[in-house]
Amino acid sequence: MKKSMFRTIIAASILAATSSFALAQDKVNLTMWHNHPEWKDRVQAILDRFEEKHPNIAIQLEEISGTNYSARLNTALAAGEAPDLFGLNPGPTTAEAAAAGYNVDLTDRLDISGLTDSAKAAVTIDGRVYSAPILGSYTVGLYYHRKIFAEHGLTPPSNQTEFMALCDTLRDKGITPMIAPAQDGIIPSFLYAMMVSSVVGSDGFDAIRAGTRKFTDPDVVKAAYFLKDSFSCFQEGALATPYVEGKALFALGQGAMLEGGSADFAGFLETNPNVDVGVVPFPAVDGGTPATVTGMEAPYNINSKSEHIDEAITFLQWMMSEEPAQMVVDTITLTTTKGIVPSDNRVMKEMIEAGRSNDVRVFYELPETGAVFGVVQQNAAGLFLGDLSPEEFSEIVQAAVKPSGN
Amino acid sequence: MTPSSRTRESTSGVSRRDAAKSVGVPSGMIKEYGHLLFVLPGLLFFLSVMVGPTMFAFVVSLTDWTGRGNAFEWVWFDNFVKALSHWPLYRAAINNLILFISILIFQHTIGLFIAVQLNEKPRFMEFYRAVLFMPVIISLVSTGFIWTLMLSSNIGFINPVLRDLGLGFLTSAWLSNPATALPTVIAVTAWNSVGWAIIIYVSGLQNVPEELKQAAQIDGANGWQTFRRVIFPQLSPSFTALTVLTFIGTFKTFDLVYVLTGPIGSPNFRTDVLGTLIYRTAFGASGNYSDEVSMSFAIAMALVVFLFMTVIAWLMIIFLRRREIQS
Repeated sequence: MKKSMFRTIIAASILAATSSFALAQDKVNLTMWHNHPEWKDRVQAILDRFEEKHPNIAIQLEEISGTNYSARLNTALAAGEAPDLFGLNPGPTTAEAAAAGYNVDLTDRLDISGLTDSAKAAVTIDGRVYSAPILGSYTVGLYYHRKIFAEHGLTPPSNQTEFMALCDTLRDKGITPMIAPAQDGIIPSFLYAMMVSSVVGSDGFDAIRAGTRKFTDPDVVKAAYFLKDSFSCFQEGALATPYVEGKALFALGQGAMLEGGSADFAGFLETNPNVDVGVVPFPAVDGGTPATVTGMEAPYNINSKSEHIDEAITFLQWMMSEEPAQMVVDTITLTTTKGIVPSDNRVMKEMIEAGRSNDVRVFYELPETGAVFGVVQQNAAGLFLGDLSPEEFSEIVQAAVKPSGN
Repeated sequence: MTPSSRTRESTSGVSRRDAAKSVGVPSGMIKEYGHLLFVLPGLLFFLSVMVGPTMFAFVVSLTDWTGRGNAFEWVWFDNFVKALSHWPLYRAAINNLILFISILIFQHTIGLFIAVQLNEKPRFMEFYRAVLFMPVIISLVSTGFIWTLMLSSNIGFINPVLRDLGLGFLTSAWLSNPATALPTVIAVTAWNSVGWAIIIYVSGLQNVPEELKQAAQIDGANGWQTFRRVIFPQLSPSFTALTVLTFIGTFKTFDLVYVLTGPIGSPNFRTDVLGTLIYRTAFGASGNYSDEVSMSFAIAMALVVFLFMTVIAWLMIIFLRRREIQS
């Protein structure tokens, strides 16, 4: 009796071991690189939900800080050692990767009909689809601390004059008007984009792309003047303040305002769960319309060298469905899936509202202005320090445009 | 053949000549070049990790390869011509030069002074030496990060401490102010590298014969004269080594500057050095698209810098060695 029981236990153990081995063998592991370590827990929660629904696919998420992401990814792509799934900015960057054969052509393999029109446009290059905006999009506007504003009876500014006057008022009260982590020039580049948009609007922006309007047009140069003037509102040491430090300073209430994106809100909450902020479009150059800028959160591509392309497509397709899109908008940033609204996220709702007035796409996503963002990034400090006049700055920016009309 | 080697041969049972014959190698050749076999592993390693990649990099620099994809065209020496007329390269090189001269002066004055004090074997000498050398063994990234936090105008403690000491007039946005950014980078680099100067000079001071110092003192030389006329000339090899190492170290600096002032050498390239310029050209200053990103051009600049540094370092060694002999 004892002997047969022992045999049964052994047999059962062997069976269990082999079946779990077989299961483990069937399970596909996909590697995924992402460039927002501050969202790790939130992204992981979505991936966990995916794995619950698809037990045969596991996603190994690796977070890489934004500053190092492109260097590491470009090197890995060139060396053929990139992950199965990687995020790339849409437009020229994705087009370049497609030309190099780094990503899988997903046209007709991925259903993008559930995406918003702007998201569809962003991931479509010459009629082909190479990526999916699974972690949504961002809109950039002006965050402000509601408590500071309420305590001092202030209202968010809507134009340059109001903004500069507000800076003076706040400074007089011993409050840093605006936090601007300008070390790498990315924040000034977004500021300039919104200031230009406030002058030209989305039609004028199209005209700049077409070559019929220029950054050197006298009315557009006013945006460069506003950018230069706004420097006086920044915190001390702004040109040496890294992005993460700036966001943390604002979240902790060390400054009244911050130019920031919908995607930054999750980071504020990580730093200060009690943060109480509001969002409005960025103040306009006098006479213009307050503006916001929208871009895609690096849409995901599938590595053409991946051994699990079908599973990767399954993942991307699921990520664009209702449930994960709802998780994205509720916990991270705006969604690109049609019909999904934040369930209980006032700040995201305000951001959506802010984007209704005068919203344009970010420079670097478009072929004609793809290089403009980087040029502004590298020359804004010259403008702030007086090394460049607004006119010279505008000339340099215009030189980076590749008008589609030419 | 010596008796001992003859004994070794007889005990092993196979002579070297026999071994050579068995593989068809003339014994004369073994005798003449046999020692090179010992160098071979190291040489192969050097060729594979240094010379090979450098040659490959040179080939890449003759193309217009951006670093993404496989498409490229041969542009031959265009990248080198462009590099030589590229103002940012000279701007960065000037910053490296300022860094080199400043660090050199610091090490040959403060570093030497501390080394002389330590050589007098004060109490707790081992402790002082460990403390002074510690920055050298801390990772440069950590060093940069710690200093960034300390110097921050918003969360740093250097400005508040200065204010508390009644030195508020000295406070500054250290890394953001164009007037103080590069000097601050120099100060952090000096703090980080002074340990090398101390170690090299202390070892040099310990090699100065005691008799020479005693002879000078008997001849009536005071402390300064003994140092100036007797001890310092004996430190020439240390001076040479430190100068050349400082030159190489400051011209290839990257990590510390990158962490302190970011990829564009804030503010407005005031702290941009060759390392950050080449990195930015190869990989970009952010994840966004940039026309300025070109791996082949970055490599061409790196090779130009490499050649320049090789020539200067070689001339430095020749000049300083000659000076050593004279002194």
